[in-house]
Amino acid sequence: MIMSVIRSTSSKMIAAAGAASLIALALAYAQQRSEPPRAAEPPRSFEAPRAAEPPRTAQPQRAPEPQRAPIQQQRPVYVNRVSHGTVRHIEPSPAPPSAHMRPGGRISPHVIRPGDPNADFHRHWHWNDFAYGRRWGVLPVGCISVIVNGAPFYYDDGIYYQPSDGSYQEVYPPDGAVIPDLPDGAIEIDTPDQTYYYAGGAFYVQQDNGYVIVPAPIGVVVPELPPGAVQTPINGFAAWQFNGVYYEPVFVNGVTQYQTFQP
Amino acid sequence: MKIFGRPIDPIRQSVLRRLFSAIVSYVLLSLLAPLGTPCVTAASAPAAPTSDAAAKPAIDPRADEFLKRMGDYLGQAPWFSVDAEVWQDVTLPSGQRAQAGRTVTLQVRRPDRFHAEVRSTRRNCAIFYDGKSITLLNRAENFYGSVPAPPSLDEALDLACDRFGITMPLEDLVVSDPYHNVRQKVVSGYDIGPVTVLGIPCEHLTFSLGTVDWQVWIEDGAKPVPRKIVFTYKDEEGSPEFTAIFSNWDFDTKLPDFLFAFVPPAGATKIPVAEIKAKNDARNKEGK
Repeated sequence: MIMSVIRSTSSKMIAAAGAASLIALALAYAQQRSEPPRAAEPPRSFEAPRAAEPPRTAQPQRAPEPQRAPIQQQRPVYVNRVSHGTVRHIEPSPAPPSAHMRPGGRISPHVIRPGDPNADFHRHWHWNDFAYGRRWGVLPVGCISVIVNGAPFYYDDGIYYQPSDGSYQEVYPPDGAVIPDLPDGAIEIDTPDQTYYYAGGAFYVQQDNGYVIVPAPIGVVVPELPPGAVQTPINGFAAWQFNGVYYEPVFVNGVTQYQTFQP
Repeated sequence: MKIFGRPIDPIRQSVLRRLFSAIVSYVLLSLLAPLGTPCVTAASAPAAPTSDAAAKPAIDPRADEFLKRMGDYLGQAPWFSVDAEVWQDVTLPSGQRAQAGRTVTLQVRRPDRFHAEVRSTRRNCAIFYDGKSITLLNRAENFYGSVPAPPSLDEALDLACDRFGITMPLEDLVVSDPYHNVRQKVVSGYDIGPVTVLGIPCEHLTFSLGTVDWQVWIEDGAKPVPRKIVFTYKDEEGSPEFTAIFSNWDFDTKLPDFLFAFVPPAGATKIPVAEIKAKNDARNKEGK
């Protein structure tokens, strides 16, 4: 009895499926018909009327192309973060001044940008060996000649020499000296008005034909004393002097650095 | 089964049943498709998160649980001391990367005492916080500088960083609620699984804090302390990393007051502590 019911039900189901499929086709057809009619196409003409052609010349001139926006290469914008190793103060410091954009977009490969002051990483540069008054029988290979106010100097990677009694003497960096490129390890010092490069007690500023030594700006902070700076307490406070410039220690970002000042 | 009075063999019956179900599926889909079309259109617009997506946590619950265990353990400890070896990537002018190392010894007594000794090749520094002031001591050059500080560790850490640019070493362990301190900045997090750090079984978790990735290795067992942390600064050139490996966790030895009280060493010179805010204000003034 049950089997016969199932069988008859199966037959009915197949018939119902057929009917349903017919209904579905009918619905699909109706939906297709109910779609909004397409916009009437413009009447096609056999030959569209052309604009009047300009008179031909020997060398046809192209119409100026519409100006395109210059393609800008998307470079990642990196941040300057002083605090590392903390989630609590993970936000980067305010972006440094626009001094990072050099004329011509050139950034000297010799320059060091002060980063996290807590990272103690020191590389010994040539100018770290400067010793005022030290004499040499011959100049280092690769020295270049520099004339400052008519006086002859020789320069090699951050150290200046002057001829003296048949030898060459290490001297303080002379203001006004122009060198073609910065010494290795020059440290970038950004101020609101100017970007300086500090190396061996000299402050350099970029100009068209290289870098020129300028008088030390007062109030700037440098991460280390010039080599051979002499401790000279001023009014009972710790201070150092190098080439007439005074430096006093100060904690900046939790690390001892040195600020130029006028006693 | 009979169709049009003819008996059908079992194989054909099976085929017909499958055909029947296929036809029914087609019919149902055909009928429901017009109803589904508006949904598809809506999905192409910026869609509101579905209830399933909203319910799905951005942080693996297991990672969150481990993080909370660690945070609660550290936050509830009345005092502790720990040593850390820190390695930090430095980018050379050539673009090449190098690592700078230092060791940190940390002593914390909640709610208002902190002492850290930081040593590296050229530096030997200390930071003292006694609930009233923060003092920096440069042992190598015998300089010290002091600033008044608020009476709680959290406030002191914030003041040090925001006004003086001083990042207290490993301050995320020191805050009163280490779990919340991290959790509020986490975008996503995963439990990588069990690993060992210096032979100690740990659970390795990784979290994204947006532009910075943060990994932590938390010791398994009754003392869920961090054994290693790594920061990856993806928003800095070259994505440098900061790594700290911890050892000598001590939650038993009581830390007396004198450890946190600064006494100037013989011959030490007091020097100013530059205030970043004042410097920024001065810059703004000059700019105007």
